[in-house]
Amino acid sequence: MSALSEMARSARRGRSGYNYAYLDESAKREVRRAVLKALCLPGHQIPFASRDMPVARGWGSGGLQISLSVVESDDRLKVIDQGDDASMNARALRALIADTAEVETTTDAREATLIQTRHRIPEDDLHEGQVVVFQVPIADPLRVVDSRASITRRMHAEGDYSAIWLYLYEDLARLGASSFSHSYPVEVQGGYVMSPTPIPRHDVPRLDGAPFVSLFGAGREATIYALPPYTRVKPLAFDDRPFEVESFAGPCFRCGASGTYLTEESHQGEAVLVCSDTDFCRRRREGSA
Amino acid sequence: MTPAETPVLEMHGLTVRYGPGCATCGRSGWVRCPICGTVRGCSSVDLEVYPGEVLGIVGESGSGKSTVLACANLDLAPSSGCVVLAGADVTGVGGSRRRRLRTEVLGIVYQTPQQGLELDLTAGGNIASRPLAAGWRSYAKVRERAFELQSAVELPEDRLDVCVRDFSGGMRQRVQLAKALANSPQLLLLDEPTSGLDVSVQARILDLVRRLQRELRMAMMVVSHDLGVIRMLADRVLVMHQGRVIEHGLTDQVLQDPQQPYTQMLVSAQLL
Ligand SMILES: Nc1ncnc2c1ncn2[C@@H]1O[C@H](COP(=O)(O)OP(=O)(O)OP(=O)(O)O)[C@@H](O)[C@H]1O
Ligand SMILES: [Mg+2]
Repeated sequence: MSALSEMARSARRGRSGYNYAYLDESAKREVRRAVLKALCLPGHQIPFASRDMPVARGWGSGGLQISLSVVESDDRLKVIDQGDDASMNARALRALIADTAEVETTTDAREATLIQTRHRIPEDDLHEGQVVVFQVPIADPLRVVDSRASITRRMHAEGDYSAIWLYLYEDLARLGASSFSHSYPVEVQGGYVMSPTPIPRHDVPRLDGAPFVSLFGAGREATIYALPPYTRVKPLAFDDRPFEVESFAGPCFRCGASGTYLTEESHQGEAVLVCSDTDFCRRRREGSA
Repeated sequence: MTPAETPVLEMHGLTVRYGPGCATCGRSGWVRCPICGTVRGCSSVDLEVYPGEVLGIVGESGSGKSTVLACANLDLAPSSGCVVLAGADVTGVGGSRRRRLRTEVLGIVYQTPQQGLELDLTAGGNIASRPLAAGWRSYAKVRERAFELQSAVELPEDRLDVCVRDFSGGMRQRVQLAKALANSPQLLLLDEPTSGLDVSVQARILDLVRRLQRELRMAMMVVSHDLGVIRMLADRVLVMHQGRVIEHGLTDQVLQDPQQPYTQMLVSAQLL
């Protein structure tokens, strides 16, 4: 974090050293063009010229490039890592964007206009006008069935998704259940099959018909894809084996919420379940959620 | 078989050249062109397969049998000539149309199981892949179909969810057969279905194929270098030699009264 915030601090001090929002204008324009294409073809993977960023590829560089390209100075920014605003990685990314693009930050998902996230969608009901940027480690949902991009590109192009159905069949036959705990493959608007990134299954139905814009950036794979507002998103599942979200043994230990996505934490040496969305949990405890 | 019926498969002047081709190789009688090195897989093959009929292709190794079969399965586009499936010209089709024909009209058992099966998937998964490709989306129905086929090809029931890699050669061929039959094809293609199997397993698999062909009354094209296989399964037979069809007719006729010297040699070489 220190190198990153140092850089961000020097950007604030010096300004001259860094362009507005870190990337140079032509780079941002190229990313925005890919984002527009992606919005026109929901769920389709668009290649873009992924830049070297001051974070390692695989640590949110794809999401970061999108955030920096779409951010405007009147945006209010929230960055989370697994639902947590305070994690090292989230703080570093937030500092870089906020300082170079001169935007306010918030932890309240309801008042943020730009949310960059890894592995979660905030628990609050998001609304029109908000943009959620997802950090994507593996963009192609067909990677699990074939590691060759030339093959999976053909499958996407022909809408030939029998291989992923076969994968679902094999899971049921061998394990009795789906082995996708995260990155559950979804069908977008009856067309492309897309990976909703490593969000838990809990968050997958929340993408269906969502009023916000979802932008997905994979830095290492140099790929962008997107969901415009109110897009139909359907998890792939057999008619007689419906998709199911995770279930938890009991409500949140801290705020008592049920129906939120919980993670395990240690409390005085004992494992307890708490909300993974830390700000939502805090606001509930303070009575302002 | 009445002449008025539309053949399931027709091939007209089917020629496959492996290589770039040059001005000489079209005219010369060479199997391998001395100028450009192009190999002739097959030349000017004409054939029809009618509904419910079994056509055999026999010939020595390298005579072009698998080449003809690969064209029928649309794995390979011919250099010239055409392939007609159920009355529609499908020469050189690709993409989703080819995929649909393969899943809905054709079924194939390849010469080796690793060509036709995903060894890391279960037997059930290999079989299920075809109904799934045809758009089945009920797990129970797909399972039921896999069970039906597994019993039709006489695979032990408790092996359905076992990885095909752990199967013996004979069992793998049974899985290939079940997979090929999964969508009730109009035309089943068999490429040396029993080569590499011991004699008793060969006999049982051939019995099974013959029984299923009669029950399902589907058209079949079976390729073999073994006259015994042809004698047992085929109504009509083509004899291939160096990529050309040199003799054809009813199986019994050709085997009892071969006209061509090459066929005579083939028949007399058989231990009967
Ligand atoms: N991919 C290829 N590239 C070049 N030549 C090929 C290719 N496949 C086949 N051939 C050649 O085409 C000819 C016919 O081959 P084919 O595989 O059709 O024979 P076959 O009758 O099936 O033989 P076998 O009984 O050994 O399987 C052979 O001379 C072979 O060397
Ligand atoms: Mg062969």
